[in-house]
Amino acid sequence: MAELTGSESVLQSLPPIPASAQLLAVAWLRWRIFVNGMFRKRPKRKGQVVGLVFGILLRIIVWPMLAMIVIGPVAGSGFLAWMAISEGHPRSLAPLLLGITLLWQFVSINGLSIAVSMQSFDPASLVRFPLRFGRYFVLRSLLGLLTPSTIVGCLALLAVAVGIGIADPSLAPPALAVMAVYALMNIYLTRMIGAWMERWLANRRFREIFSMLMAMFAVSFQFLNLRLNSTHAPGVRTSWLINILHSSGSYLNWLPSGFAAQAILLVKHPLAAFAQFAALLACTALFAAVFSIRLQKQFLGEYLGEGVNRRAKAQPAPRTKVTVPQPAALPAPEAPRSILSPTVAACLRKEWLILRSNGAQMIGLLTPLFFVVIFSMNRAFSAISSKYFLPAAMAYVLIGPLGTLYNVFGADGRGVQVYLLAPIRMRDVVVAKNLMSLTLIVTEAALAWTIICVLARAPIPIATQIATAFWAVFVVAMNLAIGTVRSIQAPRYFVPGQTRQIRAAAPANRTSALLVLAVLFGSMLLQIPVAIASSYFHVPWLAAWVFGPLAVAAVFGYALTLGNAERLILAHRDVFAEELCKA
Amino acid sequence: MTTPAIDTTALTRRFDDFTAVDNVNLCVDAGQFFGFLGPNGAGKSTTIKMLTGLLAPTSGSIRILGEDLEANSAEIKRQIGVVPEGMALFGRLTAEEYLQFVGRMYGLDRTTTLNRTRELLDFMQLANEQKKLITDFSHGMQKKLALAAAVIHGPKVLFLDEPFEGVDAVAAGTLKSMLLRMIARGATIFLTSHVLEIVERLCTHIAIIHRGQLVAQGSLDELRAGAWRAGKAGSQEAVATPGAEKRSLEQIFLEIVGTDREGNPAATSPEQELSWLS
Repeated sequence: MAELTGSESVLQSLPPIPASAQLLAVAWLRWRIFVNGMFRKRPKRKGQVVGLVFGILLRIIVWPMLAMIVIGPVAGSGFLAWMAISEGHPRSLAPLLLGITLLWQFVSINGLSIAVSMQSFDPASLVRFPLRFGRYFVLRSLLGLLTPSTIVGCLALLAVAVGIGIADPSLAPPALAVMAVYALMNIYLTRMIGAWMERWLANRRFREIFSMLMAMFAVSFQFLNLRLNSTHAPGVRTSWLINILHSSGSYLNWLPSGFAAQAILLVKHPLAAFAQFAALLACTALFAAVFSIRLQKQFLGEYLGEGVNRRAKAQPAPRTKVTVPQPAALPAPEAPRSILSPTVAACLRKEWLILRSNGAQMIGLLTPLFFVVIFSMNRAFSAISSKYFLPAAMAYVLIGPLGTLYNVFGADGRGVQVYLLAPIRMRDVVVAKNLMSLTLIVTEAALAWTIICVLARAPIPIATQIATAFWAVFVVAMNLAIGTVRSIQAPRYFVPGQTRQIRAAAPANRTSALLVLAVLFGSMLLQIPVAIASSYFHVPWLAAWVFGPLAVAAVFGYALTLGNAERLILAHRDVFAEELCKA
Repeated sequence: MTTPAIDTTALTRRFDDFTAVDNVNLCVDAGQFFGFLGPNGAGKSTTIKMLTGLLAPTSGSIRILGEDLEANSAEIKRQIGVVPEGMALFGRLTAEEYLQFVGRMYGLDRTTTLNRTRELLDFMQLANEQKKLITDFSHGMQKKLALAAAVIHGPKVLFLDEPFEGVDAVAAGTLKSMLLRMIARGATIFLTSHVLEIVERLCTHIAIIHRGQLVAQGSLDELRAGAWRAGKAGSQEAVATPGAEKRSLEQIFLEIVGTDREGNPAATSPEQELSWLS
């Protein structure tokens, strides 16, 4: 065994640690985490070649989409800035900058959960190292600069500066300087919001309120759209938007976007321009200061998490010996009062208890119904023939709940060991989980169906209703069957109602994710060719004839899968337990 | 009089209306191997988090090596090593990369970091796992790595939260000898463990926390002699018990935590029986 050396020196006083050493160490840490995540070879698994092919296909599809997401706002911002200056609408610059800020912050807030799930280390964990607060602040400011929202936001502001510079070269130097500070302000605003949200979202109740607010925001946006569509012609709508922008000009002058715009436009009045620039700097400093206050608390060991609720103190039990009933005196087991087996009933109850305490999931289930109401009232949608609207709305409502069928054991985490160790049939556990999912799906579909039938402006043909019902049975049964198989073969641990997801074995799940998307969207989109054929051949019952047998086959397929669930879990128990027990 | 390595005054931590640590006065002299015991949920990990600056106390003060923790946290963190409850490793690094990172964060130069990393990996029998990511390590291997990271900078005070949990017998023996050598060279070790045999064998002084309150503090012999009824002002009432020197730490522990503050039996005791298991 090796001997440790150098212990004598530890008692001597130590020289100060250079800031560069610690900052470089953290930079190196991030780099190694990135490199290891990208290039680390994992043990070969079955289906690796298929995964690789799917991975390449995914990149071919996704990368151009990502490029569009980056190029679109950047090119648009540059063009609008150029137009504002060259066509004599300098007042449009402030709304443009405000728009970039709003989009930047909105994407950051929404991307928070994704970013948290993707990141492989928590910057707050650096607190345990011997860092001074100043260094910690610098590190927290720098870490996370390469998030998509920051990259796109910074590029958009650079494009604005370039656009202004092309339109009027004399404005190029101030535009570049002001946009640099404006970008810094946005970065600190994002950091400030993120740090405070991290504090608030640590509490489950706040997470639920936040989910509800985001859902309400999306619903309100659609209501706004509905109001505009139903009251104004497109031309009127555009002028209404321009009027809003113009009338808000005086208010925008008191916001950072107004300061930034004025600092560029008033370049011929240096004192006024400098005052505006100073105001922008003050805003940046304010956001940095508020961010710093939050960080300071974290640095000093603030507790982020649910308050420990142990109000009900254990009462000391009387120290009397518990009376031991003799085996003969044991009451005979009660006859089952439920049509469900005790295992299914117990698992169903457990699923219900988890669902009941998960407000975010409830909101997620209710939100699509609100959208169905809005879409049903919308003129644009009412223009679609009622025979197309019902199946389309059902597909929209079902896509969310069906997605959950592909990882039914995910929320159990290490708890799956109880199922594996208990003397029960795993098939019963799967049945219980699917029953709960099915109850939610049927309830949601029935509510959506009722809403559409009530709000429809024309009666929905009976052939369409029957075809849609068959299609729904087919889609649900098929997704249940494939979802059950994938839940066993590629489970992934997650915390219900929490944005933070545990990232385990991502490469193994890439194939699964693509398969899920293909089945989910494929089964949804199958309606389209059938509907076209039905319309082309003037056979209104064609869809019912197609989806009826498919529904029967899917139900049969699901029954077959259920019958094999036991064997399947036994065959995959190593992966099944390993992935979930990594949690 | 020497400065205590760890000294807390009226240390308290509340979570909403629940008091996890209540008015704890701890004093650990330099060079002691100090065992901090308590049942599950007694407040051990919360205390360690506060002592290492990871959790702010609601009230009270902490002095490590004679310095106030809140005022000099960066300097104190340089002098302490911690194996926290959750180990706090970066899963996507290899063991070698992790130790190098930790060494650099504690201000060690490149050569020293590399040498100590190599030595520690060899010492902890992790040298053959250099290509593996930490996330793929077993629990015991992760524990050994966390310990290696805690000592790479040669700390004066070492806080260990369940360091032997999941570690194999061979490695546990190696670790124990390493810890004893550190003590011999003047370091202070603050250890929590549920394995009372280990604590009894290694620790010279022991404190027991129960429901957030410090219910006993002293040397093992003092505890055996029954000097654990610490009064609120810190006075100790020695109660001589016949055959006390033969009592094991487990017996003392059960005697202490088996009763509440008023001396009534605790909620569960070994004498209780389950109706269907008798």
